[in-house]
Amino acid sequence: MLRFVARRLLWIIPTVFLITFLVFVAIRIGTNPIQAYLKLNPRASIEKVQQFKQVNGLNGNIVSQYFRWLGHFVRFDWGRSIKGSRPVWPSLKAAMANTIVLGGLASFVGIVIGLGIGILSALRPRSLFDQTSTTGAFVGISVPPYVSAVLLQLFFAITLTRWLGLSHPLLPTSGVYPAGHKGFDLMLRLKHLTLPIVVVAIQIIAVYSRYMRASLLEVVNSDYLRTARAKGISERRILVRHALRNALIPIVTVAAIDIGGIIGGLIITERIFENRGMGDFFLTAYENGDFPQLMPWMVFVVIGVILANLLADVLYATLDPRIRLD
Amino acid sequence: MTLTININPKAVWDDGSPITEADYKCSFDAIMNTPGSNSTAGYDKIASVDKGSSAQQVVVKFKEVYAPYKDLFGEGRLIKAAAVKDCKDVSKDFQDNIPFSAMPYKIQSWSKDQLVLVKNDKYYGNDPGKVAQIVMVPKADSDTEIASLVSGETDFIFPQAYAGIKEALADPNIKSTPGYGTNYEGLYFQEDKNCTPDATRSCAFKDDAFRKAFAKSIDRNLILSNIYDPIFPGGPLLNCGLWVPTIGPWCDNTIFGKADGTDGYYDQAAADKILTDAGWAKGSDGMWAKGGTSPQIHWIINSGNTRRESTQALMIPELKKAGFNIMADNCDAACYFQQRLPALKYDMAMYINTAAPDPSVTSIMSCTQVPAPANNNQGQNSAGWCDQAASDNMAKSDATIDEKARADLIHKIGKALATDAVMLPLYQFPNVAAWRTDQVGGPVDMDAANFMGFQNINQWVDTNGDGKIVIGAEQWPDCLNPITGCANSSWYVWTTAFKVLPSTWNTTAKGTYEPSQLVTGEPTVALG
Repeated sequence: MLRFVARRLLWIIPTVFLITFLVFVAIRIGTNPIQAYLKLNPRASIEKVQQFKQVNGLNGNIVSQYFRWLGHFVRFDWGRSIKGSRPVWPSLKAAMANTIVLGGLASFVGIVIGLGIGILSALRPRSLFDQTSTTGAFVGISVPPYVSAVLLQLFFAITLTRWLGLSHPLLPTSGVYPAGHKGFDLMLRLKHLTLPIVVVAIQIIAVYSRYMRASLLEVVNSDYLRTARAKGISERRILVRHALRNALIPIVTVAAIDIGGIIGGLIITERIFENRGMGDFFLTAYENGDFPQLMPWMVFVVIGVILANLLADVLYATLDPRIRLD
Repeated sequence: MTLTININPKAVWDDGSPITEADYKCSFDAIMNTPGSNSTAGYDKIASVDKGSSAQQVVVKFKEVYAPYKDLFGEGRLIKAAAVKDCKDVSKDFQDNIPFSAMPYKIQSWSKDQLVLVKNDKYYGNDPGKVAQIVMVPKADSDTEIASLVSGETDFIFPQAYAGIKEALADPNIKSTPGYGTNYEGLYFQEDKNCTPDATRSCAFKDDAFRKAFAKSIDRNLILSNIYDPIFPGGPLLNCGLWVPTIGPWCDNTIFGKADGTDGYYDQAAADKILTDAGWAKGSDGMWAKGGTSPQIHWIINSGNTRRESTQALMIPELKKAGFNIMADNCDAACYFQQRLPALKYDMAMYINTAAPDPSVTSIMSCTQVPAPANNNQGQNSAGWCDQAASDNMAKSDATIDEKARADLIHKIGKALATDAVMLPLYQFPNVAAWRTDQVGGPVDMDAANFMGFQNINQWVDTNGDGKIVIGAEQWPDCLNPITGCANSSWYVWTTAFKVLPSTWNTTAKGTYEPSQLVTGEPTVALG
């Protein structure tokens, strides 16, 4: 196992190298940094443009520019954004923290509820609960986040508040704290996180309830569980010790990869709820053609996905003793 | 030309230190030398910034007569010398704060989530802030912005108008008013004489007759009634190019319009005559052709922009009926604005431009700004228009101090735009100032049409007694540096720079300049 993990970790280096090169070329083709600079500084003189090219290593061919960027990157010299000349790392770090909090909580809530619904549906197939949850799941998967976000904002911040005759909205429309608030306050933070978590969790619940239902139904009807029942093992023990463990194997794999993908950000939800995370960071950088910000973002996303895949493999092997990673 | 500015002896920064000529000199050095400086336009005409008879007198010597001098040493770019390490490079300053103020409010904190302004107790003017705290909070889009106002989370918002905004704001505690701002949309025709046809352009508009006839075949009233009226019913057609009627005397609405404000440019019969006289004839397919060729016009917009896509859907069939072989050739915003527009890879484009208080268009319309090897292909004249007489008028207007004489020159440039069919102005976009009357009071709508946005916020009063006014901001500044590209955003200057940085002149809602309280009176100009 350790050798497998070490080997996979070593593979990260050439993978990141290859992907960053491809992304560097793609970004440079897709977003011309000189034009991005001129868009932000429309009256910049030719001397200023030359100065910008010099500072940002834009002279020479694209391969030499890439290696210049890589040299700076591995020395943690991540440069400054084109817009505002702000150091990249503090902004990226803050964005990552916001995404991890929102994405992590939403994934936790979504997966736990989704699995619970999936288990109950599988244990009572074609029951009223199963049919209701199946319909709910299809609705949840079909409604895009920007629709559910706006509907929830209107319902909780305006309609419900009016019905209840409250002077302040029951849940805020957006933001991370009330206007003017200073310092950390767990309750206020959670209050502002509620709607974005619900928006993200709706789809996670919908998807994972379907995964779990299908996976568990397959397992509970398998031959080895029929044998277990024939041996007189209690239904509860069969479910907890044998069925659930095996049904969870494919789901854990998917969950690990999904959670890894969250590092890229939840673009729509972060924008609508003003929760400035990795998705918003990427979108703003892309709109500004800000390649000094785009490249480190991409590196973190690539590493996040690779590590999540590795975690999925390890968990797979841990849950299923038949699998030997070595 | 020499400009002498007398600083108000009472004018101080928020720490009580006086504002002096050193601050003017530092601002000049920062703008001219900082890497990534947002703009050096105008400042590059200055020969020196010196101390006059005292530290409160600034003597600015220009290399040549420079009429737009009132744009200098203001617009949120006057910084405090003692607050920066090196006036010649402030690119690494102002990372998380602008740590000084000479306005009624100062910044208490700034983050990606909110900007908190508190009263500047050392403010020297006669209009100090009335409310203890002003908080700006980002709101991602108009829907969220309006929801936050209706729910009472914000007190004031300033969204762009859109179809249905009046219904969305229907609430007994909400008032709203349109503020016709600085953004206007137009159609631009690429006429670079060195244009060679490729997959992105036919270069048909190099032919003056063809371009003029094409422009005269566009029914702008049709666009107004079908595209813009649903956004904000009753808004007028914009009839001057590159300027707007609410800012200064620069817009001559008779250039593209009739006396009643309707379209005076559209004339299908005249268009047909121009083409026939120039040897064009309609082919069997009904399209204008010359020498057996009917050019295919590439109309570019940024894909996904529904307003512009609707305009294409409306006008392409109309133009085909008029005999023009035209196609939509769109790409995403990055491709459009960063690649094809600067490289003149289009025939017709539709986009929004911004009219500044100063009318100079030299940097975007003069011959020297047509992208060419001489300017490293970085010229900003993306219409490729070169009319030497108009360019001369641009240079002349930049050197004309007298406002009336300057307005005459600007109107001549406007007429040349129409005569040469360089562009067609369409619509001046209103923002909508909307506020909760149960939470904020005072002259809230007074500056709605001002270049400086809700600049008079210090005169507003807190009617619900929560000690603060909360403003929802549709775009949030990514950064705070007033000298670099951060400043290239209307919302940045509205929310931040104008709130704390002093200006030598202020603009009024009518688009005129007036000396601010920073100075003792109108600065004097000596020519020669």
